[in-house]
Amino acid sequence: MFGLMKKTLTGLVGAGLALGLTVGTAQAEYPEKPITMVIPLGAGGSHDLNARVITSIIPTYLNQAMIVRLTPGAGGQKGTQEVANAGADGYTLLFTHNYIDQLQQHVESLPYNPNEDFVPVARINYAPIAVVVRGDSPYETMDDLIAASKADPGGIQMAHSGNWGALFVPAAQFMKALDMQWNLVPYQGGGPAMQALLSGDADVTMGFPSTLAGQIQSGDVRVLATAGAERIYDDVPTFGEVGVEGDVGFMHRVVLAPANTPKEVLTKLEEAFAALAEDKTFTRMMGRLGENVDIINGEAYQAMRDEQFGAYKVLVEQLTSQ
Amino acid sequence: MIEQFFEGLSMALRIDTFVMMALGLFGGMLVGALPGFTTLMAMAILLPISFFLDPLVGIPFLLGIYKGGMFGGSIPAILVSMPGTGAAVATSRDGYALTKQGKSRKALDMALFASVFGDTASDIFTILMIFPIAVLVMQFGPPELFAVLLMSLIIIAVTSGSNPLKALIMMMLGLWLSFIGTDPLGGVERFTFGLFELKSGIPLLPMLIGVFAIPEIASVVMRNEKTRQLAAVMGERLTLTELRRCFRTIGRSTVIGTSIGIIPGLGQVVAAMMGYSAAKNASETPEKFGQGELEGVAAAEAANNSVNGPTMVPLLTLGIPGDNVTAILLGAFVAQGLRPGPQLFDEQGATVFAILIAMIFGNIMFLAIGYLSIPLFSRIVTIKVSVLIPLVIMFAFAGAFVFRSDSVDLLMLVVFGIFGIVAKAARFDVMPMVMGFILGPPLEYAFGQTVAMTNGDMFGFFLGERWGAATVLALCPVFGYLLWKRMQSVNTA
Repeated sequence: MFGLMKKTLTGLVGAGLALGLTVGTAQAEYPEKPITMVIPLGAGGSHDLNARVITSIIPTYLNQAMIVRLTPGAGGQKGTQEVANAGADGYTLLFTHNYIDQLQQHVESLPYNPNEDFVPVARINYAPIAVVVRGDSPYETMDDLIAASKADPGGIQMAHSGNWGALFVPAAQFMKALDMQWNLVPYQGGGPAMQALLSGDADVTMGFPSTLAGQIQSGDVRVLATAGAERIYDDVPTFGEVGVEGDVGFMHRVVLAPANTPKEVLTKLEEAFAALAEDKTFTRMMGRLGENVDIINGEAYQAMRDEQFGAYKVLVEQLTSQ
Repeated sequence: MIEQFFEGLSMALRIDTFVMMALGLFGGMLVGALPGFTTLMAMAILLPISFFLDPLVGIPFLLGIYKGGMFGGSIPAILVSMPGTGAAVATSRDGYALTKQGKSRKALDMALFASVFGDTASDIFTILMIFPIAVLVMQFGPPELFAVLLMSLIIIAVTSGSNPLKALIMMMLGLWLSFIGTDPLGGVERFTFGLFELKSGIPLLPMLIGVFAIPEIASVVMRNEKTRQLAAVMGERLTLTELRRCFRTIGRSTVIGTSIGIIPGLGQVVAAMMGYSAAKNASETPEKFGQGELEGVAAAEAANNSVNGPTMVPLLTLGIPGDNVTAILLGAFVAQGLRPGPQLFDEQGATVFAILIAMIFGNIMFLAIGYLSIPLFSRIVTIKVSVLIPLVIMFAFAGAFVFRSDSVDLLMLVVFGIFGIVAKAARFDVMPMVMGFILGPPLEYAFGQTVAMTNGDMFGFFLGERWGAATVLALCPVFGYLLWKRMQSVNTA
């Protein structure tokens, strides 16, 4: 309640200051008012929770408050468009992920151009995904599952969290790389998809290891493969080892700024985000959420974005041409 | 198990837990009472605070916000006919009618008592039956959800108004309105006419405020009701006799709400409507419902609050959050080193019981907090009409805007407001429309999922694998017909 009031108040004060100060203070050092971080996703999701941690720590390094604004809708396009139309002054940032950022442009026409309208500021962290089946599933290994999927195209039910979402895309990449067919059934989020797996409605789903620990420990689910170059669990192969190569199965949480944001503003922001990696409270709080911290600067992430652009383009073309 | 329970009981009895929970309850109530602000937002913002608190303080604090906010939502619904969430729509119906009769205090007292009773009873039931509920939750998949939603829509259409045909027309309109925007399954745009503003669909809040609050404001203004005044008196408090009269209704609604809470994905809106419909159907004077019947408030509030207990079960036993509120709670649990899931009760059983017990104490505490705050809130209706009406209009627009910070929503509010005025004049009840609009997307989603699951053989799938869902679907027309007959006999009598 107090936090809400404080945020509302700082917002109001900030807005008042902005009105009063627009004339004549162009030289003042950024940031001179609170920064808004737009999340194009709903309340209570992993982005929301991550952002709450970021915004409670980053004021230490920016000397200004950072306010979260949730603008869900149209699969993330609403919030993204809002930032695309915002002033390129560093006071409106977007906290999004790679599928909204780079994949959607290949699926439909967007009211903005992700590559021309945005520049990356920082990648905060990433979540590698894992292929999971029920503990009592007949598929002991990924090879079993692949063999069964090839033997019965479309017979294996795969529960995912929505079309072109964080579970759908890796599943599609799997199907493409391994030349097999799953019956993809959408659920409203990763939680319901996991519940469908446990209740027997689905044969396979995907999930983030940070959320799976409990079920793995109790034996309710079995992990068959995990994303990334290194094994997360000693006895579980990586995607690469089962024949799925490339940047598959990572959700990168990234902060973007409108293109044409002044260089010195970007530098200031990049420094502040880089400082988070060294901040003990930040890493501890993220650790408590079960999230890693692996901050990459804007330039380095741009290279990854370019790669995603090409990979998703090919993926969508192949999936939609069938 | 029993040992853990008593250990938990002793752990829960600490002063800081109670203080923080009281803070959360009161704060949540204030946030919930402001249209446009949701308890979900408040919980997400305050989540980091709970990281720094002891688990037995931080989690009850968040739960307090949630419970307080649930009741807070019914305050504007009762006082100014402005339901901020779908769950408060049914409450608003008789609640606002009571306010107009100068009985707003009675309505608020009844809402408070019914909420607290429903919540407490379902919490206790949940603690006792947590593992059987966990098994039961697993029996419900998309086909069952689809069948139950369809049944709910039929019941709402038939029982809500005096004219089922008009109600059905309005419900169809609501369903159609819910189709506008991006199709949730295939991602295809529908009825957007290429407008980006419509791509994410019509937002709920401007519709709720538009069709429920604006026509009431308009009727006061148009009739120039200076003399009558919106309701100059707060009225008396609820009497024990009135409360006793509603015991049956509260009990029935609690059972309905708790059962609906077990089915993942149904939620408070359906519970409130089903509780309300059942009370109306069981009443000897169903024609009084909607005209300011205390039982109506009791039925809706007991039902929507008793959903809470069972919705915690998948979170606690499987580590799966079913909605955004439980997702935030999952974050709070995990941050405290309590990883919800099957092993939670083995490892941390006492702590979990302590949290559940604190929930029950919180309910009792809320009875006192709410009871003491109600006179404060009901004072709103004693404000002079010439001041109150502009204030309500301001809150209507501010509430519609603050939800998504999108100026299009203001336009939507005006459009729905005018629609509400016209519908009221033509004696079309807007409630079935709103219910069609709210329940349309989950109905469609569940249907789409079911189709995806069947691999093309719909009949074989339902009859061979999903006989439960098939039974409910088969009963739909029978149930609808019987209720229709009953309502007809009531209306002609």
